[in-house]
Amino acid sequence: MELLYILVITALALGASMIPAGRKFPPAVTFLGALAVFVLSVITAVKTINGGEVVAIKDWLSCDSFGALILLLVAFVGLAAAVFSWGYMAKFVDPGDDRKMRRYYVLYNLFLLSMQAVPILSQVALVWIAVELTTLLSVFLVSFEQTPEALEAAWKYVVLTCMGAAFALFGILVLYWGMSVAADYPFTWAGLMIASPKISPAFLNTAFFFILIGFGTKVGLVPLHTWLPDAHSQAPSPICALLSGIETTAVLYAIMRLLPMFQNGSASYASMWFVIFGLISVGVAAFLLIQAKDYKRLFAFSTVEHMGIILVAAGLGGHDAHFGATLQIVSHTVTKSFCFFAAGATLLATGSREIASVRGLIRTSPSTGVFLTIGGLAISGAPPFAVFLSEFSILKAGIASGQYIVTGLLALFIVIAFFGIMFQINRMVFGKPSTVSSKAAVPMTCIITLILMVIPVILFGLYIPETLLRLLHLAASSLGR
Amino acid sequence: MINKIFFNVIQVLVVLAFAPLIKGVFNRLKENVQSKRGPSIFQPYRDIWKLFHKDEVVSEQSSWIFRITPYMVFITPIFVALLIPVLTGYPLFFAFMGDMLGGGFILALGGFFATLAAIDTGNPYGAMGASRTRMVGFLAEPVFMIVFFTVSFVAGSTIPYIVQKHWVTPLSNFFEPSHILLMLAFLMLIIAETGRIPVDNPSGHFELAMIDESKGLEYSGRGAALMKWGSSMRFFVLSCIFLNVLVTPWGLALGETYQEVFLAVPLVLLKILAFVLVLVVIESSLAKLRLFRITEFLGAAFATSVLAMISGLLQM
Amino acid sequence: MTDQNMMIPVLTKLSALTGALFLLTAFALVVIRQVIACLRIYRFQSFLLALSAVILGYQYFSIHLFVVAAITLAVKSILIPWHIRRTVRHEIYALREISLAINIPTSLLIAVAIAILAYFVASPLLAAAGGGFEKINLPVGLAGLFLGAYTVTVRRMAVPQIIGLLAMENGAFFAGVSIAAGLPLVAELAAAFDILIVAIVTGLLTRMIHERIGTTTVGEMTALREE
Repeated sequence: MELLYILVITALALGASMIPAGRKFPPAVTFLGALAVFVLSVITAVKTINGGEVVAIKDWLSCDSFGALILLLVAFVGLAAAVFSWGYMAKFVDPGDDRKMRRYYVLYNLFLLSMQAVPILSQVALVWIAVELTTLLSVFLVSFEQTPEALEAAWKYVVLTCMGAAFALFGILVLYWGMSVAADYPFTWAGLMIASPKISPAFLNTAFFFILIGFGTKVGLVPLHTWLPDAHSQAPSPICALLSGIETTAVLYAIMRLLPMFQNGSASYASMWFVIFGLISVGVAAFLLIQAKDYKRLFAFSTVEHMGIILVAAGLGGHDAHFGATLQIVSHTVTKSFCFFAAGATLLATGSREIASVRGLIRTSPSTGVFLTIGGLAISGAPPFAVFLSEFSILKAGIASGQYIVTGLLALFIVIAFFGIMFQINRMVFGKPSTVSSKAAVPMTCIITLILMVIPVILFGLYIPETLLRLLHLAASSLGR
Repeated sequence: MINKIFFNVIQVLVVLAFAPLIKGVFNRLKENVQSKRGPSIFQPYRDIWKLFHKDEVVSEQSSWIFRITPYMVFITPIFVALLIPVLTGYPLFFAFMGDMLGGGFILALGGFFATLAAIDTGNPYGAMGASRTRMVGFLAEPVFMIVFFTVSFVAGSTIPYIVQKHWVTPLSNFFEPSHILLMLAFLMLIIAETGRIPVDNPSGHFELAMIDESKGLEYSGRGAALMKWGSSMRFFVLSCIFLNVLVTPWGLALGETYQEVFLAVPLVLLKILAFVLVLVVIESSLAKLRLFRITEFLGAAFATSVLAMISGLLQM
Repeated sequence: MTDQNMMIPVLTKLSALTGALFLLTAFALVVIRQVIACLRIYRFQSFLLALSAVILGYQYFSIHLFVVAAITLAVKSILIPWHIRRTVRHEIYALREISLAINIPTSLLIAVAIAILAYFVASPLLAAAGGGFEKINLPVGLAGLFLGAYTVTVRRMAVPQIIGLLAMENGAFFAGVSIAAGLPLVAELAAAFDILIVAIVTGLLTRMIHERIGTTTVGEMTALREE
């Protein structure tokens, strides 16, 4: 039942945001909705730890442990971004323009709704529709500021991801065909799991390839990533946090669901392609990071890198690597959203997007400088932050399972990315302050969000709570067979 | 046996006699569609008669090619008329003398001589037109080849009579995708080869823009008459191939009696009339393509024919 | 789909004809210069998709497929072109694409190669479980998918790119009506609705681009490229 409530509450918040009741009303309503959804998703996650699947409508709306994990993350980032938007958008939208504020929150709630639908829906065809909708409903958020660059980013975003979605649609249709030829199960993730030994390999392989390429475009796998740095940097910062933090991960969830269907033989077809695409993404992103000129683009390239890492971890095989993958999902989500919040605060404080024009941030706006440094360190994998722990466990699992080349390449690329990010952040935060007029003081809600978000970033690097640990292990076990 | 020889001769006579009529009908219909009155449909006969009674002026600088070309242009369609199904649905006496490929080459021979003759006199417009005709012809060759190949592959033979049978007997064969695509490609070919809009304007008088018409510019008297007659026969023959083999393989005489053969004559003329109507509509609604866009037009024809080949090969 | 042993030959040929024409429209979308002609070809292509669904529905006695055909006609042949015409008026009626990235004969040759590639990709699937109608719909639909992707990459103006996107979905559905006809009706309805949203969103975005930037030649918007 909780699943149904989650969707209904977000829809209600959506409707309420349309009511012209003043400037403060939509953010407040959105915040309340996001809070309620977060609580419900925690309850769902706890239930999956204890009792297995949470079912609202059999074969249509259900959630197992992996889905509950993603749902929890969606709700968490949705809540944080709602709080951050409260102050941030108040600065960006002119005081008289209530319509623009309402438009933002309506689009925000729509986007959240579509992202919540991805882990909740169990019919695979409907999952495809939900993924398409996450793109379509965020296009106008990406182009929200209506500058030519934002419009260009939105155009590339929509065209490339819709192309990918069409490929993925074909893959899903082939999968359905394979399943209907072999057996007669409902076309849900669970049904596919049961039917997959009977499906002929031609179907599985073709469908897998098309879905990987199709949804991989949305996730940002190289070479289909060209839209990602643009879209994830031109959007307003809370939306960037949502896009980079959780949206790409939700689509990656859909891809990773395919993995257990291939467990005939250790070096299976799916794992191999996961590793190949993952490594290429990590490598290319690490090199592209180095010459990023805009700090939000820097973080966006880092998203590509992390998606690659998660994919490699899933492809390495074995419970430890899969656990590393789920841990990486959690740590990346939490850290990346934090980074984008810090970037948003930096934009407010300095008024410029370019790395070259921001200098000496620690002197002009100390709190922002501190947060940006923490973000940079955390996302590039420095201890004692969460990402370090997850990357370390992935590398450890890789060495333990004997795949030295893959692990070695992965470690190399991570180190390159570390230096790339830290070099740029260093330049921005330290050094002589440039004469950029400080735009505005960072609003209180933004600071609150930043402080609240930094807690998990540091905490998960040191200690993971017991319930979360169990959830992660359960999710990892659903990846293997 | 004797009957078959006679039918063959009748076939050639029909082509000879009615080709100018078709040309006259075409011109008149084109004018009618544009709300004009148009010349009489027998005008081409009068033109040919008049030209035969005029003196011929031949340039001293030209060679034997110039003199022999009108005869080549006149005779080649007649040869091809011996090979293709015009009136009958079964092979006649000369039918196995050459197949579709041979027929295509013979037609191309006439065109080849005409092109050479156009350069022969030293007239600059002739040379320009000749080079443009060659460009169109060279782009159209692959399409021809692929169309013939597909047709022969699908029907199992290269003789037009046997090919035609393939699409008559099981009716469902008519709706084969390769067939429909072939019809489309061949239509575009006919438009290109006979110089109709959108490839070339047959009623234009501007020598700088002529492609096909420039071949007949230098001739007078008997030579001009033979060129005119020959080109209208060429159109007739190409339409016969198109209609009797591909589009409407019905209505041909199936028995060996004279009545049936004579009955087939008006049917064939009716079919060609319908085809002329379609071409008139196309001519009146499109504009002439710029010269380098002709490559795109023929490229589209090529793609269509390749699609036909693929669907025929993969037996859709 | 339960195997129907007696497949009416005319239906098979008709279905093959629909497939060939569908493939032809996919080719046409790659090279046609006029934007409004692209839109008309898309309408025709959607009509062919609905026709194929009707033929298959007739063969398999499935009301489901008839409903799919009706939805396709309503959404893709009527609603979407109407919406695009309304939102992007100026581009449709005024413009032709003058300079393509690759010239037309080369594009056509590449398109032919892509179509052959689609056949090769589809053949192992057909070998595994090829029935009657899938032999036609699957390769043609896949070719439509690939050719639509090629259209989006080659074209530089906004509306042909949108139509290329929609043509990709058409291709996927063309394959889908034969291989996945048993999908729940809700999924089909939602997918059609989703494609309508694609058209709406991209149409609005095109109008915004035209208002802000002044042209819809989106291939020339390269402000964000840095490497």
